[in-house]
Amino acid sequence: MSFRAFTNSVREGLTGILRHPLVTIASISTILLMLLIMSAFVVFSADARYIMKNIGQQPPIEVYMKLNGTEDERAAVTAYLDSDTEHVVYYKMATPEENYNEFKANLGSSSSILDDFDYNQYLPYTFQIQLADPSYADEVVMHLEAVPGVNKVMQERQVMVFLTQATKWVNIGTAGAFCILLLISLFIISNMVRISVYSRSAEISIMKYIGATNTYIRLPFVIEGALVGLFSAVCAWGITCFAYGKVYSIFMSKIDASSFYALLPMSSLSKIVIIVCAVCGVMIGGFGSGVSVRKYTEV
Amino acid sequence: MIRFDNVYKTYKTGSDALSGVSFKVEDGEFVFVIGKSGSGKSTLIKLMTREEKPTEGTVYIDRFPISHMSRTLIPVLRRHVGMIFQDFRLIESKNVFENVAFAGEIVGMPKKRLMQTVDIVLSVVGLRGKASSLPQELSGGEQQRVAIARAMVNDPKLILADEPTGNLDPTTSEAIMALLEEINRNGTTVLICTHDSNLVDRMKKRVIEISNGRIVRDEKDSGYSVFGDLSAEAEAQL
Repeated sequence: MSFRAFTNSVREGLTGILRHPLVTIASISTILLMLLIMSAFVVFSADARYIMKNIGQQPPIEVYMKLNGTEDERAAVTAYLDSDTEHVVYYKMATPEENYNEFKANLGSSSSILDDFDYNQYLPYTFQIQLADPSYADEVVMHLEAVPGVNKVMQERQVMVFLTQATKWVNIGTAGAFCILLLISLFIISNMVRISVYSRSAEISIMKYIGATNTYIRLPFVIEGALVGLFSAVCAWGITCFAYGKVYSIFMSKIDASSFYALLPMSSLSKIVIIVCAVCGVMIGGFGSGVSVRKYTEV
Repeated sequence: MIRFDNVYKTYKTGSDALSGVSFKVEDGEFVFVIGKSGSGKSTLIKLMTREEKPTEGTVYIDRFPISHMSRTLIPVLRRHVGMIFQDFRLIESKNVFENVAFAGEIVGMPKKRLMQTVDIVLSVVGLRGKASSLPQELSGGEQQRVAIARAMVNDPKLILADEPTGNLDPTTSEAIMALLEEINRNGTTVLICTHDSNLVDRMKKRVIEISNGRIVRDEKDSGYSVFGDLSAEAEAQL
């Protein structure tokens, strides 16, 4: 296809949008509705994954050193944790004295009973570890247990398994719902555009008779659909940002931003929402239109 | 220019449209294809534009076996064949100039050359003054002239016309035929399927008559009927 033929197609596509304003409005509304549902799902699943990640990163792994452990043994644990940056996002070593103070603080008003407690003899050095993902727990525990001087590695196994499974199902659910919504959108929009294409079926057959290729005939419709999809995407993005901003300010007014249950701010979601909306909108509009024209190009 | 080699066409419904049709049309010829409704005239045109494929046999256009060509080449074939229809088939939303220019735009003709070419063909068909009119603002004869202009834009070697005067009054039909004859005089091969006995009789060109999917007559400088000026009624009585 020559450049001139391509620019003609773009011009025809733009003209097509204005030629049938009611069909254009109906198409925009349909795609917009679908994209709003998709955006809501993207935002929900992003928040769900964020919360899972936050919970999964809380220190569910604790390392207890032997009571008579040496400085070198503790240095070996530190060295491993420093080197495994892929799995370990944060760790903190606590001395017997720090553990004693925390223990005492937990006892509140009864803490005085520990006043004469020789913590150096009974309390070990400990490490609290945060993982990048709960699914790494088994591997990290295995490594730590092999380090000399480590007495015990504690992990909340059931919590870990639950978090791993929950994250997996949220991801699968997101992908599945996304595919289903995409198919429904394509089906609805291809039927919608069929009305517009039908009204131009005579024109399409004339184009075929005078030697237009299928691509030449289809391109204006695809461009028209893609532009309608893009416009719907921008609208869906704007509405999602506005609505989520409201939900965020109401929800976050009651909880701390560093809490496990904090939501992602819109600034973190804005980019992914516009990308998802634009890609899906252009794809739904363009592909839906292209499929509808196909039937009329078989002359 | 056109060659049919023992062509058969049977539609999916089982009806035989053509049975063993063979003929040849040389470059620059002017040919009428005549026959009753359902005789196979339209099928003949459809085979030449590859709207249909023969069940058996081969159709050649400009020595190229189009019956076996790939689907992607069909648009290329159609750009080299000017088509004229009984119902004009103009795009209602485009004006005369745009309708004619459209055929050139499809092949990516440079804008300047396209403007000049459209101007020339509109002058040839006598519609230069109506370039900005919409098809529905024109008479039947004028619409058919626009269709002829559109067929001429890409300078085709062959023009196929399916009942081009079917919707026109006798005077306008004469003018359209004169135009096609003029185009033919400039070297373009013209093949016309028609029912218009007066025109065929008056123009005395080669006539191919089809009946029940077979060629029953192929004569040069002939008329609509083998019985010359006898009326159809007299012919039926004979």
